[in-house]
Amino acid sequence: MKNSFLSVSKTHPATWWLLGLALAITASLSATPLVLFAIGAVSMLLVLAFRDESAWSRSVSFYLKLAAAVVAIRVLFRIIFNLESSPANPLLVLPEINLTLAEGVSLKLFGSISALSFQSALTDGLRLAAIILAVGMANSLANPMKLLKSTPGALYEIATAISIAINLAPQLIASLNRVRRVRGLRGQSKGIRALPGLVIPVLEDTIDQSMSLAASMSARGFGRKGQRSKMALKITRFTGLAAITMIAVGVFLLLITPTTQVLDLSIAIAGLAFAVVYIKMSALGSLRTKYRKQAFQSGDYCLFVLTAALLVSAFTGVLQF
Amino acid sequence: MITLRDLTFSYLKPDGTPVTETPQLNRVNLEVAEGEFVLVCGPTGSGKSTLLKTLNGLAPRFTGGLLSGEVILDGKDLTGKEPHDFAHLVGFVNQQPEGFFVTDTVIDEIVYGAEQLGMPVAEIDDRIKPIIEILNIGDLLYRPLATLSGGQQQRVAIAAALVAGQKILLLDEPTSALDFAGATEVLSSLKKLAHESGVTILLAEHRISRVIAEVDSVLVVHGDGSVTKGDPATQFNDARFAPPIIQLGAMLGWKPLSISTEDAAARWAKQSPDFQEKKLHEPGKKILEIDSLKVTFGNVAAVSATNLDLYANQVTAIMGENGSGKTSLCWAIQGLGERSAGTVLLDGQDTAELARDARLDLVAMIPQRAADLLFLHSLADELKESDTFAQVEPGTTANLFAQLAGRIDTSIHPRDLSAGQQLALVLAIQLAKQAKVLILDEPTRGLDYAAKRALAKQLQLLRSPERTIVLASHDVEFVAEVADRVIKLQAGQIVADQSPIEALGWKSQLPSQLAQISRADGLVSIEQVLA
Repeated sequence: MKNSFLSVSKTHPATWWLLGLALAITASLSATPLVLFAIGAVSMLLVLAFRDESAWSRSVSFYLKLAAAVVAIRVLFRIIFNLESSPANPLLVLPEINLTLAEGVSLKLFGSISALSFQSALTDGLRLAAIILAVGMANSLANPMKLLKSTPGALYEIATAISIAINLAPQLIASLNRVRRVRGLRGQSKGIRALPGLVIPVLEDTIDQSMSLAASMSARGFGRKGQRSKMALKITRFTGLAAITMIAVGVFLLLITPTTQVLDLSIAIAGLAFAVVYIKMSALGSLRTKYRKQAFQSGDYCLFVLTAALLVSAFTGVLQF
Repeated sequence: MITLRDLTFSYLKPDGTPVTETPQLNRVNLEVAEGEFVLVCGPTGSGKSTLLKTLNGLAPRFTGGLLSGEVILDGKDLTGKEPHDFAHLVGFVNQQPEGFFVTDTVIDEIVYGAEQLGMPVAEIDDRIKPIIEILNIGDLLYRPLATLSGGQQQRVAIAAALVAGQKILLLDEPTSALDFAGATEVLSSLKKLAHESGVTILLAEHRISRVIAEVDSVLVVHGDGSVTKGDPATQFNDARFAPPIIQLGAMLGWKPLSISTEDAAARWAKQSPDFQEKKLHEPGKKILEIDSLKVTFGNVAAVSATNLDLYANQVTAIMGENGSGKTSLCWAIQGLGERSAGTVLLDGQDTAELARDARLDLVAMIPQRAADLLFLHSLADELKESDTFAQVEPGTTANLFAQLAGRIDTSIHPRDLSAGQQLALVLAIQLAKQAKVLILDEPTRGLDYAAKRALAKQLQLLRSPERTIVLASHDVEFVAEVADRVIKLQAGQIVADQSPIEALGWKSQLPSQLAQISRADGLVSIEQVLA
């Protein structure tokens, strides 16, 4: 699989994210356990087939465990907080517990549960699990750091901040483990709270690491701006502000009015147009070049077709049998 | 290439007043020529790092503080500019490569700086080829950074610092986190760079012995704000950071001082000075009995079937490269660490089975980052907490600390102590209960020669007929000075159990610098030399 045209190193990271999101959307629109199960299974098979050696692809078992936990919790909650009152053909008969929380407010726990109610809980759980696995697939196959290279110039700073935050989490866990282990070497008298002993070295580590990363980026030229007039800078900022405001107002109006109004829609569309102009204008002012820029290739187009087919079938209800 | 005029730099307190009366750097005037290879040295905390950081804008931007004077690089006045305005001219390499990486594969990391500076892709392609060749990282280009060894990571960091055609390279203790092999890789790459590429290099480094013969000049940051620069043989009149070779020359009255091992060896042969036999301490009673101890992580044997007895009154050094199992062995002996088989008996009881408090009383361990054990806000609180926890007379820890480090104002925050003082504090805390076993994991990391000498004296003080001391280290000179017995580990196995005279002598695989110079049987450490 390594050298085929679909190998991860040759496909664009955005392709996997699009496919993952399409699978997640399909899952959220579907109510058939079999379809949901298939989406989850397809996601995991994709990871197993295409993953490479990077650290990101080792997270499969984490997503599987999370998905299983979500299904289990959903079903368990349905059994505990059972709202049905004595169904005709109970699947499971449990004793009922009635709690009186306040005057006139009571809560029923357990009790008999029907196959139908059980199935709907299972479907809800499976839907969430399928979404988790679809997004997990994208995250495992498309390293967020690589995706960073493809973000437009205007969003580069934000994307950098996000990717640093993503990378900080494993470092935090590593230093927490180290400090916890080391703390076993020195005891603590009763009057002393244990928390500062754990938190102070870990925080110090994290802050040191973030500062040294920021220093490194700055020392290597991050944040350097091209030659641009103050006027151009002002216009760019104004466009950005206008874009955000118009998108926010447009979407708000669209959501509060029951029927789609031409005015609301045009405000939102104008906002999007401003956003595109803003991104283009910011890119003009940046110096940055992209080495090893990834272009879409045949493998990407194959996956695009798959993604489009999936979305069409999801919205036209082909998968709702 | 570099001109500093009246450069003054002070760190400031939150209220805006300087932290110390004399500035960290006081009216420094300095010239460095193009292509010069300069070694920057000075005691820990003297301001070596600060000086380097003023040369690429990280000070004061990222360190805080107040800078005055002029920084002129390649004919341009860059005083007060942002670090990214220096980026096309100055490359910077830090102590810990992994914390400094911005991307996650070698190639992306190398080109990152060139991308930020807007270098066209075709030009980047042309630039990386010679750099990759000099640093010998061609085979690593598409590997994830996390899978590289420390030495490889540091070479990638150097390539990344130079890819945009930077004319100045600053390195802030680039080998301090590396073992012998890794440090050798990095230092030999630097020699090649200095001689082949015409880059001006400023290298701040503790492992002076191995580069001193290669550099064009030595710059000393004295710690009182002054900075001097000159020929390597003239700059070491301060014993706080003088390597053994310089110390030896000073003891024997050599003028000028020898800086290369070959030169010193020739002089030694002519003069053949007297030396005394190394004082080794006889083993006392058996304290620890390690029987078929094994540590395995997954399929990897970190320590395989080890039998070892450790005796009181002795310092036993465990030596080996990174990954040879030193740390795993230390933790397994302490009792908290992983073990897959075997026992470690202390007075007939396995350290792993001791109750938590009993283990803390009997076995003291100093981990690689000693400061991880400190968590209170003042030295006084730390000392008091130690007495309370150990249930000893108030003042016990303070007395021990004073013995080890002298009197220090106890209102100071533990994080503001020097690395050597922090180590002494952790030693005092861990030994308040008179533990029978003291384990130190790489204690000399980040210490200058003066702090190492202080630690050697402290270990002499802590030696007792009731205690055995275990020291994991790859610091040959330090081990030569303090150890009575040397155990060599290789891939988790004990390959030698010798006296330091055999283990570090001139005929051994791992000779100390003095052994290399003297080629005399029985001589490994400088305090043996009579002058």
